[in-house]
Amino acid sequence: MKGPLAKTAILLVGMYVFLKFILPLFTAPLPASLIFLYLALTFASAMIFYTMSGGSLDEFMGPVGRFLTGSGQVGIAGTARILVFVLFPLLVGWQTYTRLAPSDMPPAENRTIHPAPPGEFVGLANPYPRTPENIMMGKGLYAAFCSPCHGANFDGKGPAAVGFNPPPANFSDPGTIAQLQESYLFWRIKKGGVGLPVEAMPWKSAMPRWEVELPDEWIWKIIMGEYDGAGQSPRTWEEEE
Amino acid sequence: MGYMKIFNVALGLTLMVTGVGASCVFASDPPPEGETGSVAVRLFLTEGAVPADDPNAAVWNTIEPAEFKLAPQVHWPDRIQEVTVKSVKVRGVHNGEDMAILLEYADPSEDAADAAAVEFMVGDKMAHFAHGQEMLQVEGGDVNIWYWKKEHGKATDMTAKGFKTIRPQENQNVSATGAWQDGTWRVVFSRPLQTGDDLDVQVTPGEWRNVAFAFWDGEIVDGDVKEKGSQKAVSSWWYLRAEPPPDNSIYGYVVLGIVLAAGFEFFLVRKIRRGNES
Ligand code: HEC
Repeated sequence: MKGPLAKTAILLVGMYVFLKFILPLFTAPLPASLIFLYLALTFASAMIFYTMSGGSLDEFMGPVGRFLTGSGQVGIAGTARILVFVLFPLLVGWQTYTRLAPSDMPPAENRTIHPAPPGEFVGLANPYPRTPENIMMGKGLYAAFCSPCHGANFDGKGPAAVGFNPPPANFSDPGTIAQLQESYLFWRIKKGGVGLPVEAMPWKSAMPRWEVELPDEWIWKIIMGEYDGAGQSPRTWEEEE
Repeated sequence: MGYMKIFNVALGLTLMVTGVGASCVFASDPPPEGETGSVAVRLFLTEGAVPADDPNAAVWNTIEPAEFKLAPQVHWPDRIQEVTVKSVKVRGVHNGEDMAILLEYADPSEDAADAAAVEFMVGDKMAHFAHGQEMLQVEGGDVNIWYWKKEHGKATDMTAKGFKTIRPQENQNVSATGAWQDGTWRVVFSRPLQTGDDLDVQVTPGEWRNVAFAFWDGEIVDGDVKEKGSQKAVSSWWYLRAEPPPDNSIYGYVVLGIVLAAGFEFFLVRKIRRGNES
């Protein structure tokens, strides 16, 4: 296995493993079509590189031509050749089918969970001091208004939570309010699900628009009680830099 | 081998790699994420009349139901913290003209004020599941609500766009029949798939629609109806689709693909052989 083609094949396999399994450890997984494009580019580059650096295309492609025509093949190589010839049309047929077959799956939903807040809500600071009384009052209001959905334990498992899709946020999960600033919560609580931009699918959210029922003062205190009860602290401006 | 032949081999190989590569890569994509439980109602295609007013028709028992969890309505006032109906099983059929949807749910007592409703988004605009209430950054559309109440003995076809805007439509095209037995309500709603009324949801086979459900337990407790108005059990938006008729032309394309691929192989090998001989 010293031919240029074999080397290219090894390169392609390595490339695939890297793109498919190693890269996702660091960033979001690549879509299959992109992986495929990269592999095709790698192959083309290998071919060009080899011919440019003095090798002939004939030499590069030679093994393929010999394999396809079956010249001088016996035993396993011969069987493999027949197998390839039978499998290739079947693969094409299968691909055609999967492309055309009607899907039974509803449209995929990519809901943005933390969209950008409107400008007027950026950078607001909680105007109330973090005193035990304020926190206590916030927790009381939370128990009355928020716990049916977000749960008495701040875990998103309130008695009403089960029917809603998307589910009420779980505040004890480090992925929710610990990632957010108090001003962001103020926006979300005041404007609710209907205040979300289109990419966050406001028509699906059961989060109430609390500004029609609760004064701002209560909302700021609820935010305090919420962080305290969930054992999280808000993201600050320093961390943002 | 001359350049022409080399080019042919290269082309053949690239196509082959494309086929095999694409199959492997695309086949290994993860399936779409599904929540636990159902996400969609499927209206099965049947022949003949749909069981428009028969909640106990035999055909219902041949259909696998979708099941959706329900929540007490705690989204806006007046709220309710505890409701009777905790989940609903939904089955549906259509025959290309008419559709029927069966809701089955547990309710220990049969009461005059027991009620059920099915809600749809109408047209292209998205609408909030709570009566199409106003959204602040997105322009919303109407919702179409089919409401059945035991004591009315029929369905009311309604429209809403926001709280307190709900009203019966001029054109009533929905019918409904309920039957209660041993603690279970079976309510069937039916309507033509298409009505030509802009206020109605139009159901086109093969296309997805958004649907939600609501239920009221009309039991009298201390002289008052237990659940009424905004005090009810609700669901989120889920999907509904009338099954499209089977499309056999797909198989034609599959055969065509196989024949083309085999023909390509044949000519490729012949070409290389000729090239080698010369
Ligand atoms: C009817 C159920 C319901 C009630 C009651 C409710 N919420 Fe929510 N809440 C939700 C749902 C569902 C979501 C997730 C969807 C969304 O982000 O809009 C959510 C999201 C949130 C978020 C966004 C979290 C994030 O990670 O982005 C905050 C903050 C929040 N709720 C706070 C509150 C507070 C405070 C109260 C009480 C004043 C409250 N909620 C009451 C249902 C509810």
